[in-house]
Amino acid sequence: MNFQADAPFVSRPRSNLIAGALALGVHIVFVLLLVFGVSWQTRHPAPVMVDLWEAPPPVTQSAAVKPSKPPAPVKAPAPVKAVPPPPPAVKTPPAVKAPPTLKAPDIALEKKKAEAERLQKLQITQAAEEKARADAAKKAQEKQLAEQKKRELLRQMEEEDLARRMADEAAASEARQVKLAEAQAKQAEAKAKQAEAAAASKRQAELAGVVGQYRDLISAKVRGNTRLPDNLTGNPQVRCLVKVLPTGEVVSVRVTQSSGNPAYDDAVVRAIEKSSPLPLPDDRAARVAFVPELSFVHRPKE
Amino acid sequence: MNPELSQDLSLLHLVFNASLPVQLVMVLLLGASLMSWWFIFIKMFALKRAQRDTDRFEREFWGGGDINAMYQQVSTERGEAGEMARIFEAGFSEFMKLRRQAGMSASFIIDGTRRAMRATYQRELDGLEAHLSFLATVGSVSPYVGLFGTVWGIMIAFVGLSSVAQATLAQVAPGIAEALIATAMGLFAAIPAVVGYNRYTHDIDRLANRMESFMEEFSNILQRQTPTAA
Repeated sequence: MNFQADAPFVSRPRSNLIAGALALGVHIVFVLLLVFGVSWQTRHPAPVMVDLWEAPPPVTQSAAVKPSKPPAPVKAPAPVKAVPPPPPAVKTPPAVKAPPTLKAPDIALEKKKAEAERLQKLQITQAAEEKARADAAKKAQEKQLAEQKKRELLRQMEEEDLARRMADEAAASEARQVKLAEAQAKQAEAKAKQAEAAAASKRQAELAGVVGQYRDLISAKVRGNTRLPDNLTGNPQVRCLVKVLPTGEVVSVRVTQSSGNPAYDDAVVRAIEKSSPLPLPDDRAARVAFVPELSFVHRPKE
Repeated sequence: MNPELSQDLSLLHLVFNASLPVQLVMVLLLGASLMSWWFIFIKMFALKRAQRDTDRFEREFWGGGDINAMYQQVSTERGEAGEMARIFEAGFSEFMKLRRQAGMSASFIIDGTRRAMRATYQRELDGLEAHLSFLATVGSVSPYVGLFGTVWGIMIAFVGLSSVAQATLAQVAPGIAEALIATAMGLFAAIPAVVGYNRYTHDIDRLANRMESFMEEFSNILQRQTPTAA
């Protein structure tokens, strides 16, 4: 018997490819939505714990000097510079909290003052220059007159006399020119010095920023490793002197000012030792603030 | 030791930094999700077409056309005709064959026709229900798989925490966030699968009801056509 004629029809599902593409599309859209649509927290604000630290004198001062410094004057000649205005409002080290924001008004005042000073100096030097120029013109006139007289005289003089005088004259003018060149060189030198000074102070400000940042980093690291004793009350302060290798390795920790609670002192010392190596800036100049030793102040609460 | 001061918590970063078991779970769930969406779309197209074909066939059948002509048309293009048309075709061809044989009683003929129609009905229903069990499985299992990934990830995060002197939330947060993504993916795979499963079983039920009603009605029509010889 043959049942081929009775074979049932089996339908095949279709449009598998379209369905697959649609499924892929759904997932891609969803992932894109998640990745770009939802704003996940990606940045934490850097901790501000500046008040824990003693400000190392040289760097903070330069930080204070920097913003009040006038922009390098364009034409003003040499002696105008190198009079740093008084450092603005750096009263006590603990008050150096978040430098740039708090100091803004002082900086503005200082800037105005410096600007006025600069203008005054510029005027003075300009007047001096003008006077010098007038003097030079007068001298030249006189010289011309003298030369005319000389020429009349020369005409009447003998040949050898004339030759000798001419030679004298040439020597004199040469000397004048040398003098002029010298003055110009001096001016250029002064300008270069000024630019150098500006660059140096700018760099110092940068250094201060780096130093502050790494101070925060060190403080955060030590804080993370500190286990406070149970019997601690209040907010006592411990001051330590930490000897540090250039690699950041802690060599020794000495308590210079105890909190009165030995357990707490020990805890801080241990925390500092545990935090070795301390994060140090790569910049050699900025590292001076930390190496070979740094003073460290710790309080349980900020 | 050093607590990172800034941690990137973007989605991709979390996924690629997760531990290996969690990543495996994520890949598994992603595959399940892709497959279930694929079947969802296949079923969506198939059921749409089935409903459209059934509507068209019922309109033609009850519209008073010639049954023989309709049978001819359906049997030449069985693939395009739709489920109900194929049931009709199977029943009618069986009816013709039985009627041609001599000595068949009317109840015999009708019984044979109904059996042929029922067989085709079962086969068509099976075709419509294919892959639905996968949707059901994904819908019920993938939340547990995701949960497993999460539990594993949190375990690892806490084991890492035990070696730290002072525990802070920042040290476990990334691990837990990573782990929770596994649960999120499990739910992402499960929810559409469950919705699709429920929706399609309902649609298929309704289609099956229509086909069964048609089978009964068509049997009655054929019975009326059969000469009551016996």
